[in-house]
Amino acid sequence: MISEYLLKSVMLVEIGLLILAVGVFFMHGVWLFLTQKRSLRQMTAARDSLAKLLTRGTVSVEEIEVLRQLPRDVQVMAFLEISRNVTGAGKERLRFVAGEVSLIERARKLCESGNWTKRLRGARLLARMDVADPIVEKLLADPHPAVRAQTAEWAAAHPSPTVISAMLGMLADPATQARFAVQDALLRMGSIIAEPLAGFLETQSGPPAENGLRVAESLAETRFLPAALRLSASDESGVRIAATNLLGSIGDSTSAGRLTDLLKDSDSHVRAAAAHGLGRMQYWQAASQLAETLRDSTWRVRRDSALALRAIGAPGVLFLRRALKGNDAFAADMAQQILDLPDAAVR
Amino acid sequence: MTDTVSRIVSQILVDGQFGVLLYFLSVNIWYLILLVSSLLEMRRHLLLIADESRHLLLSSTLSPTISILAPAFNEEATIEASLKALLALQYPRLEVIVISDGSKDQTVQVLIERFDLVPVKTIYEQRIKTKPVRNLYRSSTYPALVVVDKENGGKADALNVGLSFAQSELVCAMDADTLIESDGLQRMVRPFLYETEVVATGGTIRVVNGSEVKLGRVIRTRVPTHALAGIQVVEYLRAFLFGRLGWNRLGGNIIISGAFGLFRRESVLSAGGYVHDTVGEDMELVLRLKRLSYEKGGPGKIAFVPDPVAWTEVPESLKVLGRQRDRWHRGLADVLWRHRRMLFNPRYGVTGLFVFPYYAFVELLAPVFEAAGLITLVLGLIFRLIDWNFAALFYLTAYGLGTALTAFTLILEDLSFHRYETFRDRALLLWWALLENLGYRQMTVYWRLRGLWKFMRGRKDWGVMERKGFRPLAAPTAGT
Repeated sequence: MISEYLLKSVMLVEIGLLILAVGVFFMHGVWLFLTQKRSLRQMTAARDSLAKLLTRGTVSVEEIEVLRQLPRDVQVMAFLEISRNVTGAGKERLRFVAGEVSLIERARKLCESGNWTKRLRGARLLARMDVADPIVEKLLADPHPAVRAQTAEWAAAHPSPTVISAMLGMLADPATQARFAVQDALLRMGSIIAEPLAGFLETQSGPPAENGLRVAESLAETRFLPAALRLSASDESGVRIAATNLLGSIGDSTSAGRLTDLLKDSDSHVRAAAAHGLGRMQYWQAASQLAETLRDSTWRVRRDSALALRAIGAPGVLFLRRALKGNDAFAADMAQQILDLPDAAVR
Repeated sequence: MTDTVSRIVSQILVDGQFGVLLYFLSVNIWYLILLVSSLLEMRRHLLLIADESRHLLLSSTLSPTISILAPAFNEEATIEASLKALLALQYPRLEVIVISDGSKDQTVQVLIERFDLVPVKTIYEQRIKTKPVRNLYRSSTYPALVVVDKENGGKADALNVGLSFAQSELVCAMDADTLIESDGLQRMVRPFLYETEVVATGGTIRVVNGSEVKLGRVIRTRVPTHALAGIQVVEYLRAFLFGRLGWNRLGGNIIISGAFGLFRRESVLSAGGYVHDTVGEDMELVLRLKRLSYEKGGPGKIAFVPDPVAWTEVPESLKVLGRQRDRWHRGLADVLWRHRRMLFNPRYGVTGLFVFPYYAFVELLAPVFEAAGLITLVLGLIFRLIDWNFAALFYLTAYGLGTALTAFTLILEDLSFHRYETFRDRALLLWWALLENLGYRQMTVYWRLRGLWKFMRGRKDWGVMERKGFRPLAAPTAGT
């Protein structure tokens, strides 16, 4: 039989834990009750002061003082909240006020901290305030991916040659989070990155090239053509797919010729992407090759080829009708399905 | 003779008591480990999302596309409101696919009329065999909406049809009556952006009973005064905040709630989609994805997002709750049985060596040990081998640590998301946490044992879920 002493001892420990938990639970509630009202009051005061400072155009010392007196967390929250809604001169004024209340200085210090969560907060603050500071730039090489990603977000608004170069280097970042932020930031920088990106793609291969090609596809500029042509012959299927998509988005006659060749690629995703690209370009000269890929063993390639033929117009539709009478049942079925689609569905 | 019987019973009781107490202690130690792990994970998560701006995700052309798959069966009364809430979700590249699974009421008609649906033709690759599709519609007012009308084949079949029609990189499987937070998808998609290894994400599901709902959104969170619903609030908090979050850090989850989960579409299609012949199709899919990632490679991480992202209505009647728990346990038993080769198999890494055994020995067999403990206690009292004081002490000791851990879960919620704000809600939460062990828990033991029994007899029916509907926003009174 279990001794009562043992049971009582265990139970005493359990009761102790329970009392502790209940105590913490309610004390935290009381603390929240007391602090939340105060925080709300302070937050309202901060919003009012900031709104006045931003709309009036002049800065009053008293209002700056009101902001300076507020707890650091409330300052940060208020500045971050309002920073989303202002641009241009408004942002500049906000930055000035943030400097006056030493928020920028504090963010800089956070960026230098040994603790990644502090660096992240610092980078977030400086990014949202659009502060061009070399200290943030350094964080592009931070050991923590979340900090790198945040810094990439900042970089989108500061496309200097060194930043762009660092960002292109980060296309090979091992962390998905940082890569996503970098690709997105490069896209936001716009055509300013076209030249350096084209240069980067001409020398790269593997995953960095694949990630760069995705960015290039959205920009769709002809200066990416040499790199796209070279990378469309890559050994890695991922790179070939991305290069094929880029060729489809560039859409000139050289890329159309290469896309026609890629209809015979060993990877079905590449063949499908090539067919899709030719359809986008309505490249009627490739209709007979597309009619051949209509008999492809992969459903997706057959679909994209049939859709491309339909998009090409009369010559393509002619091939689709021929396929209906052909001896390949799969091609005939796909042709029938695509011919049955209303125009709106094909567009 | 009587002495001999009494001696044997006594011996069994003594050994049994030790066994049961030992089981309770070891289970609670596991829970303690999970609690500590979830505390660390929560801290990390909160630090990562502090002051985070999701505008990047909202405005980026690189954000992964998402198709929401919403199976509906006879939902004419609620489908319009549910669908409008889905279409209003804040996510930039979203497609909503409603699959009417052979509804016998006016579900499809309601959709056609309220959403200006027009029949369309499309082509799709049927990689998974499903019941035939009757019609396909697109909305002329909501471009992101697609409605599939198909023959009845069950939830798994409906989801499989949705998978075939979906065009996006990610698919979100949900129940038609789940309420999703307006920014829920942004939160759920985060792990996919952080790691290429992630194949699925699940979020915290909260209980909506008692809370105020307006236009498909929970606008004020309250703890229900109804005992069954209230206790389930505590159960859900415990299950999600320290169960699943804890596993996030310790090697991964194998459960994503069927009420709301996000998956890589290609991985699900490659795995063969949802299976029909189980009542635990959501868990089965997750475990299969995990298993295939070990066997064939590819993404296999199941990430859990602790943010409260979705709300569900829980049963308030014993009958319906009993059926639900019975079904959940049958599902768990069935899924673990199907994938039994993973148990203690080093080929499946942490999942095979720790997570799977935890679910088998702690989750699945818990009612067996708990029932054995209760029976031992009653027999001890009948045979006068123990007195009432000892029985009470034994009972309180066995459940005490669990209650303390539940109280710590409440702290975890309070420190992180703090959705229950008033003193009344705090008091109620604590009250339900204490009350849980006095009758409710024993009933769940019975229901789960019944589920196990039915599983062994091969039963695979679902039972009926009766819903009361969400509490609408109270009408404003003078002066408010």
